[in-house]
Amino acid sequence: MGDILHVLDMLAWFPENISTFGAELDSLFAIIYWVSVAIFFLTFGILGYFLVKYRYSPDRKGYNYHGNNIVEITWTILPTFLFAAIGLYSDDIWERTKYSKRVPTADVEILVLGKQFGWLFLYPGADGSFGRNAYNDRTARSLMSAMNPFGMDSTDPAGADDFVTENQFRVPVNSNVVVRGSSIDVLHSFFLPHARVKQDVVPGTWMNIWFNLFKTGKYELACAELCGGGHYAMRAEYQVMSKAGYDAWLDTKNAEVKAARSPQPAPAAPADTAAVASLR
Amino acid sequence: MSTADHAHHHELPWYRKYVFSTDHKVIAKQFMLSSLFFLFVGGAFALFIRWQLAYPGTPIPVIGSILPATWVTEPGSGIITPEFYAQLLTMHGSIMIFFVIIPFAVGMFGNFCIPLMIGTDDMALPRLNMWSFWLVPPAGLIMMAGFFTETGYAAAGWTSYPPLSAMTGLPTFTISGQTLWLISVFLVGFSSIMGAVNYVTTVLNKRAKGMKLFDMPLTVWALFITAIIVTLGTPVLAAGLAMLFMDNFLHTSFFLPDNLVTSSKYFGGGQPVLFQHVFWFYSHPAVYIMILPLMGVVSDVMATFSRKPIYGYKAMVFAIAGIAFLGFIVWGHHMFQSGMNPLLGTTFMLSTIVIAVPSSIKVFNWLGTLWRGNIKFTAAMLNALAFVSMFIIGGLSGVFMASAPVDIYIHDTYFIVAHIHYVLFGGSLFGIFAGIYYWYPKMFGKMLNESWGRKHFYWSFVTFNLTFFPMHILGVGGHMRRIYDPNVYDFLKGLGGVNEFVTISAIALGFSQLVLVFNVLWSLKFGKKAPRNPWRANTLEWAAPAHPGHGNFDTDITVYRGPYEYSVDGRELDYWPQWEEGKSISIHHHTVAVPESNDTRTFGAH
Repeated sequence: MGDILHVLDMLAWFPENISTFGAELDSLFAIIYWVSVAIFFLTFGILGYFLVKYRYSPDRKGYNYHGNNIVEITWTILPTFLFAAIGLYSDDIWERTKYSKRVPTADVEILVLGKQFGWLFLYPGADGSFGRNAYNDRTARSLMSAMNPFGMDSTDPAGADDFVTENQFRVPVNSNVVVRGSSIDVLHSFFLPHARVKQDVVPGTWMNIWFNLFKTGKYELACAELCGGGHYAMRAEYQVMSKAGYDAWLDTKNAEVKAARSPQPAPAAPADTAAVASLR
Repeated sequence: MSTADHAHHHELPWYRKYVFSTDHKVIAKQFMLSSLFFLFVGGAFALFIRWQLAYPGTPIPVIGSILPATWVTEPGSGIITPEFYAQLLTMHGSIMIFFVIIPFAVGMFGNFCIPLMIGTDDMALPRLNMWSFWLVPPAGLIMMAGFFTETGYAAAGWTSYPPLSAMTGLPTFTISGQTLWLISVFLVGFSSIMGAVNYVTTVLNKRAKGMKLFDMPLTVWALFITAIIVTLGTPVLAAGLAMLFMDNFLHTSFFLPDNLVTSSKYFGGGQPVLFQHVFWFYSHPAVYIMILPLMGVVSDVMATFSRKPIYGYKAMVFAIAGIAFLGFIVWGHHMFQSGMNPLLGTTFMLSTIVIAVPSSIKVFNWLGTLWRGNIKFTAAMLNALAFVSMFIIGGLSGVFMASAPVDIYIHDTYFIVAHIHYVLFGGSLFGIFAGIYYWYPKMFGKMLNESWGRKHFYWSFVTFNLTFFPMHILGVGGHMRRIYDPNVYDFLKGLGGVNEFVTISAIALGFSQLVLVFNVLWSLKFGKKAPRNPWRANTLEWAAPAHPGHGNFDTDITVYRGPYEYSVDGRELDYWPQWEEGKSISIHHHTVAVPESNDTRTFGAH
């Protein structure tokens, strides 16, 4: 019996929420859900009652009545208020979660690229800021290639410590994470089910995605936009880490990058070779 | 048209009578046959999809070993490939929308009902009408011919978003499944436009004597307004398809931006999101193209079998018009997460939510129609009631995704899949069934078997809900749509049971539809002969002979009143056909017959 009720209680099927705005989105879903349940029982109740009460009987006639304007106006205005209220309330939340001007100041900024079929992430490295790349400099976009998908400009010393991970996404807990997302081939959609985040990433454009997660652990990132046969396998792990753990991971990554780059004379390295190194 | 005129028709050769016919009723039957055929093709594709989702990596039972080698992982394995899976979902959606629902709703009902219900002999432009059907079979064949191309069927979803649909990786001038898909949909669009132009012209010019616009049955109103949507929306889709075709086939770059990292070298300067705007500018109204005609059909069926006037007839007309108008300013709600400026999300959210208002007006008026009726549960009525109730559920689930912040999570999940099927299967298809059961007698001169009709209804209704309701749960669980194997994801592991349940129900739902086909074919041969007006209904098609020939009517038709005068006070019969002379007055929304000494004709009644 408990299982059956579990099936009927739709809200119980959400994956656990781990983001600050997620609770608000879930409760908005719940509000609409309960309003819908109420309307459902109201209309189906009336429908069922009419079907039973007015079922065919040979010694009764239908009632010739063409309708009533006052009734029509009433059932026009009531839903208008109800739905307008839902709309205005929703808009408030929409503004806070998606409007570009409401994107909070970034504690951590990461770039993400979708590709057939996987996710690439660019971290700013030890200095905490990106060098010139396809996101922050339009001219660097021409550097984008399979070897250097982020179009990193190797002549920019600020970018020397930037590093790329593939299908490995790590973010610190309780921080404003701002992700700038794009794609190198077709449309993909950056979907973090537990964080209630979804944003299509479009080649040629960079999207603002942000979230603040309050629970550490390992979660999954999925692609939600059909992108070819391998669409289903565009899964990446993402890990919400304690601040100390995140810093430690950054340190090891930075060390790796340094080690990989040290044998080369950095400024003279051709763009592609540098990117290959940073891909590791 | 008089009987004398009728006799003057010279005998047409058989191929002009049954194949290249300009008779609107024959064209309607042709639409019905082709749609029924494609219903089973599309349904078969759906069952492949369901099997893969419930039992990923398991061979397809029974037919697995004989599937073409390009569909399966290795010859004879019976396990479909991810690439073929993408083709399946593309073809399922495209076939069901462009070759089943639209031809059924607009092609079949538009052709059959409009001339008969407005009391005229044929469409205003019969030859154009013939062409509007004869573009559909070649279009269907062209889409299915994708099988023979190097890349197989189109595989970019029925929405065919670029760059995926534009970048084939093939040389210029190479035909891929996607190219054929584009040509095919373009042709179907052409067919729609030709039909729609005809409907508008016919409704405006060919109504029977005495028939004012507000004397038209709601089916005609709905088809008329739908035709206006088609003429305004479809050319825009055609423009989008033409651009995409050029990107795909001629390697232009309308939708392909700079700096793609791909094997193709033909890109640069385009904007992928532009296609989505163009596509949804048509395809959202197209949702209403698929459901408005059925709203009309269901209204007529409900009035007839409740023996009552439609509650708020004019409100119903205005609601249809309102939905049609709003349908053109809400397309962005498909694109909340597309990268469109979130500011526009606000606009589109508010306009979308407003659509719930005319939709609720319609539901309340249907309920009002049942109120104090004398309801007969025929197969047609049952399907009409299913339309109303499933449309309530589909409408309510629509409110979730209309709310942009809620849509963030449920967008592109099975919640959307559940919603679209509640509207297009629970709504449109049950409405189509209702219309088939209702007009079959006039179409073929035979009654459909009522008992098999009810069995078909009950089985479909139950299995439909068992199939599609749990999809809401999958969606809430985060199950993305269009994925080949949910087991890749840990967070979807708990949904395996639901997926399996849905699949078993879907198989039962699929097989239930065989009952309809059986009934349609069996009754054609063995059905009872239909009387002229079997449902004792008011609208003009029932004034025509039981199985009307070319030219439809055997008497001159004059319209004396609106289409829904059932159970009028002062009359013995509980219906009062539109074509029957007689005086009445209206007192406080009631119609009362004014007796006339020598007029007791019950013309057309049985």
